[in-house]
Amino acid sequence: MRTLGRVLSAEIVKMSSRYLWLLILASPAFAVLIGMSQSEEGPISWEFILSVMGAIHGMLFLPILSGLFTALLCRYEHHNGGWKQLLSLPVSRGSVYLSKFIVAAVLLAAVQLLFLVCFLGVGWWREAGGPPPWEMVLPRILGSWLATLPLAALQLAVSQAWSSFAAPLALNVTFTIPNMLVANSTTYGPYYPWVQPLIAMSPYGADGNFGALNLPLESLMIVVLGSFVLFFTAGLLSFRRKAV
Amino acid sequence: MSETIIETKGLLKNYKGRAAVKDLNLNIRKGEIYGFLGPNGAGKTTTIRLLLGLIAPSAGTIEIFGKDLRHEKMNILRKVGSLVESPSYYGHLTAIQNLEAIRRILNVPKSRISEVLDIVSLTGEEKRPVKGFSLGMKQRLGIASALLGNPELLILDEPTNGLDPSGIQEIRDLIKRMPQEHGITVLVSSHLLSEIELMANTVGILHQGSMVYQDSITNLQQRAAGEMRLVVSEPEMALSFVENRGYTGVLQNGTLCFTRMNDTTVAQLVKVLVEKGHAIYRVEERRQSLEEFFLQVVGGVSHD
Ligand SMILES: Nc1ncnc2c1ncn2[C@@H]1O[C@H](COP(=O)(O)OP(=O)(O)OP(=O)(O)O)[C@@H](O)[C@H]1O
Ligand SMILES: [Mg+2]
Repeated sequence: MRTLGRVLSAEIVKMSSRYLWLLILASPAFAVLIGMSQSEEGPISWEFILSVMGAIHGMLFLPILSGLFTALLCRYEHHNGGWKQLLSLPVSRGSVYLSKFIVAAVLLAAVQLLFLVCFLGVGWWREAGGPPPWEMVLPRILGSWLATLPLAALQLAVSQAWSSFAAPLALNVTFTIPNMLVANSTTYGPYYPWVQPLIAMSPYGADGNFGALNLPLESLMIVVLGSFVLFFTAGLLSFRRKAV
Repeated sequence: MSETIIETKGLLKNYKGRAAVKDLNLNIRKGEIYGFLGPNGAGKTTTIRLLLGLIAPSAGTIEIFGKDLRHEKMNILRKVGSLVESPSYYGHLTAIQNLEAIRRILNVPKSRISEVLDIVSLTGEEKRPVKGFSLGMKQRLGIASALLGNPELLILDEPTNGLDPSGIQEIRDLIKRMPQEHGITVLVSSHLLSEIELMANTVGILHQGSMVYQDSITNLQQRAAGEMRLVVSEPEMALSFVENRGYTGVLQNGTLCFTRMNDTTVAQLVKVLVEKGHAIYRVEERRQSLEEFFLQVVGGVSHD
């Protein structure tokens, strides 16, 4: 772990790739389009804006981006012997793996921050009532970020193992598509890792009526933490044994 | 006797029950240029990956700088520069960015980047994305990366692969200078004996995962010495005459061929033939080429 700082700093050099930054913009930009176009009877509320902007973001973009970021971070190592060169330097495999995960988590955090800014901007533009509802939005931004981390952990595990770029993404999409159905299911919703970002993002609390969306934050975080520990440990163990 | 830099004991690597490297006992001493030789699939790259901890051995131990690789991998790798198989690089980055990524891990001064670029003659190309480099340029970048951390041990897997003749010459000279100027030990692999002969002082020949020959280059060159050939008048008569006197030879296309003999024996042979009245047109020693010797050692067919 002593080398983590150095590995991270090397990672920043390697990331100077255009696509990565563009991806950060994609979901907030899309959310702005939706946030500006949807309308509600009567005056616009902050809750309404968050629910329309957060729906696609939580259901589709966050899970997909977790896969895209990790796949991109592994892609340039799979091509042209990057792993081989990196791992014959004085680095521990643990710190290499952790640094990839940290970068993916930071990129996802950047997406969340930008999303927050867009949300506030749309709310202000459309003259939503009252001051920005920090108590409602901040836990949801943070919660959906946390709920995305297990997915990033799983995708990193798969991306480091498979040299193909497309295969981990296909896996990710396969598990993300059912979100639309699972979100409405009280039976599976609480346990399905891919739908947790959406649940955490939803502005309607315990009294809402949205299937799995009315879960208390605590039980959601237990599922998130459990799947995170499982996926991250499995990935790390596999990476430490990886033949390069 | 100088200290041992690489020592392996009973090194074994199995792939699905087939041994890619078996019972390998390497002993490479400080300041040595060790040439690691073997035909395709002999296990050179596999051995090098084992030495760098990129793959785990099925059995056996590896000590580098007197430390066990399993327990002190980080301390060991800090002092090792390597190039494994085809050159590794990040295609979307420039040469400088590639080296910078490695430099940040090795924690060496920034000035080292231009130094190594200069050593491998890549100055002038350093701001281009590496994906546009030719194979030889990528290979040079790989060697620059290996040198970046001022290593005490250089492990180079076919470093001249893809280089043009002048590039081969440059890299060869560079490798030869390493022990003299910096006390660096070098392990260099190749499948060309002629190339190893020009730079190494010790050679190990690997075949199907086992070490089949290991000796100094000087001894190898002696081992590979060839036969005496004499072109004389009336060769059939000459042959039967000297055979009666205890020489064993054969007649090939009118040339008398004898196994390797020392100077006195050659002088004597010539003398008796002259006394018998044969005209001697030519006396030559035909050295077996090292390549032929290599093929013989690895059990390939030698065309004669
Ligand atoms: N990952 C792997 N899985 C299965 N077999 C492997 C693997 N890597 C190497 N081998 C086998 O191990 C043997 C040695 O391969 P290695 O790459 O070490 O040869 P080499 O001496 O470097 O050859 P070359 O001169 O072609 O580079 C080969 O028979 C190869 O097929
Ligand atoms: Mg090889």
